[in-house]
Amino acid sequence: MAYSDKVIDHYENPRNVGSLDKSDEAVGTGIVGAPACGDVMKLQIKVEDDVITEAKFKTYGCGSAIASSSLVTEWVKGMKIDEAEQIKNSQIAEELSLPPVKIHCSVLAEDAIKAAIADYRDKKKG
Amino acid sequence: MAAENPSPSEALPPFDPDLDHFARLGLRPGYAVDRDAVEAAYLERSKVVHPDRFATAGSGTRRAALEHSSALNEAYRVVRDRVLRAEYLVKLGGTDLDSSDPEGGAPKPEQAFLIDMIERRDAIDEGGVDLDDLRDSVEDELEAALASAVAGLDAGDHASAAAALVRRRYLDRFLAEIDDAIG
Repeated sequence: MAYSDKVIDHYENPRNVGSLDKSDEAVGTGIVGAPACGDVMKLQIKVEDDVITEAKFKTYGCGSAIASSSLVTEWVKGMKIDEAEQIKNSQIAEELSLPPVKIHCSVLAEDAIKAAIADYRDKKKG
Repeated sequence: MAAENPSPSEALPPFDPDLDHFARLGLRPGYAVDRDAVEAAYLERSKVVHPDRFATAGSGTRRAALEHSSALNEAYRVVRDRVLRAEYLVKLGGTDLDSSDPEGGAPKPEQAFLIDMIERRDAIDEGGVDLDDLRDSVEDELEAALASAVAGLDAGDHASAAAALVRRRYLDRFLAEIDDAIG
């Protein structure tokens, strides 16, 4: 399958790979998986005054899954969490020109950012 | 008694695309299969529908022979494989593990399992993990997941069989990465 240039760029130079301290009160962690293929994705955000100041990911999966999570971490930095929550997989798929068989990778990235925000909110509630 | 040169169109049963893989081989659906019986059924049926027998028949019959043969090959590939057979039985039960659809697709595993899948990989990245030991352990876990799926299938519990097979897919993927790391 031919990957788009943007997928290859994110795959070869992934942005924001790494981990944040998941015990930090300001850090939300989302871990999601794609059962059909076994891909797993961890996406973490650090939030200050409802704004995402840092985002990191680790994705064990195909190039499209890595590119989708890399792109999302780039997008969400500087966003308010309410905005980040609105990111749709279709925007990710469009930006990366994902073919139909790889749409589930963008779904995974959307699920991951939503899970990270939900985790952060849970923590704040205490 | 068949004539020496049976009419091909008479000898070839009509092709039914909706037959499941077990029925295609004349077997009852179920996890426990006799491997010799599967092979015998496959060979016997292959002979009957083999396209070579219909090389001089009309185009409709030739195409039907091809459809029969390829469906039979697929049935044999799935039914004789212990993992594919289990996954297929779950599919017959209404869960397609190849789909991510929340309705009828692969069920999501427990969050703790996913966290474990990430943390074990993190541990490899951080170094100090004996990859050969890890490989042995993941292979054992793969076997255990399949055994659990088979137990679920035997008990008619498709949900637990599907959940175990999903865990197996994640572990299978993890094993492939460990093999890459071992080189």
